[in-house]
Amino acid sequence: MRKALKFAAMAGLLCTSLISTSASAGIDWKQSQGTEIRFLMNRHPFTTYIEPKVAEFEKLTGIKVVIEAFPEDQYRNKLTIELNSGGRVDGYMIMPGQDDLYYSKAGWLQPLDAYIADPKLTDASWDPKDFFASFAKASSVNGEQIGVVINAETSLLAYRKDLFTKFKQKVPTTMKELEQVAKFFYGKEVDGKKLVGITLRGKKAAATSQWVDFLYSFGGSWTNAQGKSNFASPEDIAAFKFYGDLLRKYGPQGGTMLHWAESTSTFMEGKAAMIYDANVFKALYENPKESKVAGEVGYAVIPAGPKGLRLPHVSNWSLSISKTSAPERQKAAWLFIQWATNKENGLGALLAGVPSGRKSAWDSKEYKANDKQPDWTAATMKSFEIGQGQWNPPVINVPEIRDITGQVIVDAIEGKDVAASAKKAAALMDKKMER
Amino acid sequence: MTAALSAISRFVNRRQRFFFPAPAVAVLFLIIVLPIAFNLYLTFTKWTVGLGQPQFIGFGNFVEAFGDERVWNGVRVMIYFSGASLVLELTLGLMIALYFNRAFRGSEAVQAIYIIPFAATPVAVALIWRIMLNPEVGVINYLLRSVGLPPGLWVSNEHMVIPTLVMVDVWKWTPMITLIVLAGLKSLPPDPYEAARIDGANPLQIFWYITLPLIRPVLIAALMLRSLDNLKEFDLIYTITQGGPGIASETLYLYSYNVSFGYFKAGYGSALMVVVFLVVLVFNVIMNRLRRDSSVV
Repeated sequence: MRKALKFAAMAGLLCTSLISTSASAGIDWKQSQGTEIRFLMNRHPFTTYIEPKVAEFEKLTGIKVVIEAFPEDQYRNKLTIELNSGGRVDGYMIMPGQDDLYYSKAGWLQPLDAYIADPKLTDASWDPKDFFASFAKASSVNGEQIGVVINAETSLLAYRKDLFTKFKQKVPTTMKELEQVAKFFYGKEVDGKKLVGITLRGKKAAATSQWVDFLYSFGGSWTNAQGKSNFASPEDIAAFKFYGDLLRKYGPQGGTMLHWAESTSTFMEGKAAMIYDANVFKALYENPKESKVAGEVGYAVIPAGPKGLRLPHVSNWSLSISKTSAPERQKAAWLFIQWATNKENGLGALLAGVPSGRKSAWDSKEYKANDKQPDWTAATMKSFEIGQGQWNPPVINVPEIRDITGQVIVDAIEGKDVAASAKKAAALMDKKMER
Repeated sequence: MTAALSAISRFVNRRQRFFFPAPAVAVLFLIIVLPIAFNLYLTFTKWTVGLGQPQFIGFGNFVEAFGDERVWNGVRVMIYFSGASLVLELTLGLMIALYFNRAFRGSEAVQAIYIIPFAATPVAVALIWRIMLNPEVGVINYLLRSVGLPPGLWVSNEHMVIPTLVMVDVWKWTPMITLIVLAGLKSLPPDPYEAARIDGANPLQIFWYITLPLIRPVLIAALMLRSLDNLKEFDLIYTITQGGPGIASETLYLYSYNVSFGYFKAGYGSALMVVVFLVVLVFNVIMNRLRRDSSVV
């Protein structure tokens, strides 16, 4: 009897030690049990995806997560005001390309590198290498990672496959070809409708996020080596001029008032042969209820500039930790971000229609089996690979400098003297730029 | 206990004039006086929300505004838009009021339909106008084409944008002027008209020498009411053009909104708001003087 007890005890001990070794391969998810964290979120498809799953996380960790979500415009104001007034925010959604320098200068962004490097805090299965390098870079400030991507976007050239076949046109691979094809289609009558060659955003500040891909592909840049505005350089002027001419000569009427909504609806009406805008608008183009061109759309990476450069931008929403929160809650916030961006949720979000920043999600069988536009996926992957994270001017006061940039785009679309306008904008940008 | 209570009640009773308005005064102080005072303080500071504390820079913001091209553009747009729309609204409003002033069959029904634009929510009608004015898919160009007229670019063209916005503003607000003027016309005394008719005055003379002078204070009151809103017109312009194309329809008020809530530059934005406020104030002081002069007649 005694022996049997001893044996049982031994067996029990063995078991516990086995369990503890298996647990040490992962992290202790219960380490912040009882903590309550508050996240401010944009009412974005990712938020819709993750909200119902938060209970799983709470069960796993014993952390209570409060999520407050608002529509994007209100969200930005709400977040800025809460962070500024020292409200209790432990984590939030950020668009790093738009806000990272401002938030970093304001002291609202907690660097994540220490958490990621700590094997007690970050599970090996989280695998940071699985994220596209372009997005990790896009969510970094001065080499420190400040966010983890949850929604990955880029821009693509979308074109009408049916028209290209009918008129025997090749998909443009250079800017020169892009102009020729746009010219070819402009004014062609199809199904009683007069076509335009291409539609683009032309509305001041809103246009800069698409124009920037032309800027980079023409070899241009926001600022030069001295940190001054580079708008007056020949490359920048060429990019302004090309974009403006393309829209004025071969685009819809009233180009200077085209935001993405107007531009995409022109394309979806079947009135444009091509459109250059965010890749996620595939969901609009391919929706047969809204779009007359569903099923007829092909996708390609931005055509190469005069020197062979193809440099689209990548933009993203990330999850960040508030620097003003307490260390214990920051730790809990990191556990939440880690969980929300793990491989399983990366794939789950992608299948729910939120483009993931994780390679493994796109490579998965589940995604590939349901992929109806493999050319879109291929072009998106290529763009993610070569994409530039810096799609906004590298300044703190992004909206102000975007307005200055947008004025040159508007002048270019209206056919004014682009060089003079760019020169004026460069001087103004140098005066107003805050870094 | 009762003695204490009655002492309090006596104390309050003797100072009714302080105690009764006190809650209202406190609320007014909190929601009007404090924000205005804070706004005036911000006017003299440089402050981007989030980046440190407000820094006192004296009149720096006004100096910056003086050299800011977008401020001058804003003033120009404001004068152009407000001038054109106020003149048109007043003229049309007066003419239509004169027309409605005569009783005719179904005049009530016509008047009821006529004031619908004025009664509708500004942002909602502005959204509809925005879609109707779209040069590619808008119904206005469709109608123009169908009767053989050339389509226009409307708000998508920098030279057309202000006249188009004025047209929408006139469509929306003329009924308000009409209502005010109509009320004024109805209250005019009949005697001068009788006397004029006996003396053989023609309708034009009656309008020019009797109606117009008598109705002048009402017209000025209508103009003041309308100008208060019109000089800081926001919802219509913001919804239809957001100040575009470029900055072709960006009034000073819209620009100060962009500076404050787009760029989060609270100091500079406050200073621009104060400038807008001063413009509205000066305009209304002039109008008030005109009204006082005319009511003596």
